[in-house]
Amino acid sequence: MRLFIQYFCLAVVFQLIFSELLTINGFQPNIMLLFVILSQMSQSNTSKAVIIGFLVGLVCDLVLFTGTYLGLSSLVFSICAFIASRIRFNFVFQTFDLYWITTLLVGIVIYCLFRYDFLFFSNFFLFLKSVISISLYSVFVSFILVKLFSLKRVILSA
Amino acid sequence: MANAGLLNEKSLPVSTLLICILLSIFLIFSSENEKIQSFRVYTTDKFSFLYQPFNWIDNQSFLMKRVEVLASENLKLNLENQILSSNELENKRLREFLDFKAKRDYNFIGSDVISKGTNSNLNAFLINQGSNSGVKKNDPVLSSKGVVGKIIAVSDDHSSVQLISDGNFRLSVKIVPSESEGIMRWRSNQICEIFEVKKTAKVNIGDIVLTSNLSSYFPPDLPVGKVISIHDKSDSFNKIVRLELYADLSTINQLFIIVDTDGE
Repeated sequence: MRLFIQYFCLAVVFQLIFSELLTINGFQPNIMLLFVILSQMSQSNTSKAVIIGFLVGLVCDLVLFTGTYLGLSSLVFSICAFIASRIRFNFVFQTFDLYWITTLLVGIVIYCLFRYDFLFFSNFFLFLKSVISISLYSVFVSFILVKLFSLKRVILSA
Repeated sequence: MANAGLLNEKSLPVSTLLICILLSIFLIFSSENEKIQSFRVYTTDKFSFLYQPFNWIDNQSFLMKRVEVLASENLKLNLENQILSSNELENKRLREFLDFKAKRDYNFIGSDVISKGTNSNLNAFLINQGSNSGVKKNDPVLSSKGVVGKIIAVSDDHSSVQLISDGNFRLSVKIVPSESEGIMRWRSNQICEIFEVKKTAKVNIGDIVLTSNLSSYFPPDLPVGKVISIHDKSDSFNKIVRLELYADLSTINQLFIIVDTDGE
């Protein structure tokens, strides 16, 4: 629990740094989503993971300023927490990077479906361009953070 | 009995997920609700101290560059001001001659951007002016260059600004000098599109786009952007005009709210 709170605070700080200072062309990585995925990987109780994901999402929507939608982060975080918690631990150990990147991408696509719904129907190419830009930036930043804080070791030893 | 218990245990995570998804979807579709919006602005208002240090760093890092830009803009404006002063006198004299009504002056309130949002794209800002300063819902918001968005939720000391880049934002605009009117919406980066422009309208690249007289919330003739391309649709009586916004949404730190435009 202590570790969870520590990394939650760290994730909030990183999210604020990226959203306030390191936004590229209007796009920013979703660090809170990465936090939910990584923190729920070692959670054996899937229901608990989903509820944590939902609550973290709600906190993000209410406390961190996330635009006009309320509930979008809760939706994405619950789904990603469910996927993160469902996987077998051995599988996670062998393909850790591939696993969190895939889950992160699933989350980003759901995010974009709501954010760019009008583009999805009117200009699919532009929608795809936005999804790819956000995905690339998020994965790049997340990869650096995972390596920098040796998160694989922390998660697998939790 | 044991089977039922096992089934329950197995289906519990899926049930929890379904409940959370339903709750989230309910919240998403209730986002427009005034009470929910006020509650969101209230909570963001209370936790706005989180953004202050990052906002300060952001302001400091661009301060020198901004001073340089402002100095050159100031010089340009001074020169323009001299020409405009003489034109104003002439304009006033001609208006009196034609018995025209005097144009309204706008009341501007300056504000700082506290947060640009922690989502993957820019669609709303949080600013440090609220109902205590006279800000109301739907007040127009401008940067020093042009229209940026409108107020969508207000608390005592903070407000939420819906940006032009939000997918749901629409603005009634006119293209000058042809005075053709249309509905503008965001496309990508700094580019917006104007729909419902008649095919017969004479629009050229470089024409200026201003707010029209038709908007309920925006006063007319506020600068929006300039035309960069025109696209004719073979299956329609209208054409699509693309424009580049004057205001750079990704680098905005100070905004101005027009208050009391309806003369209350």
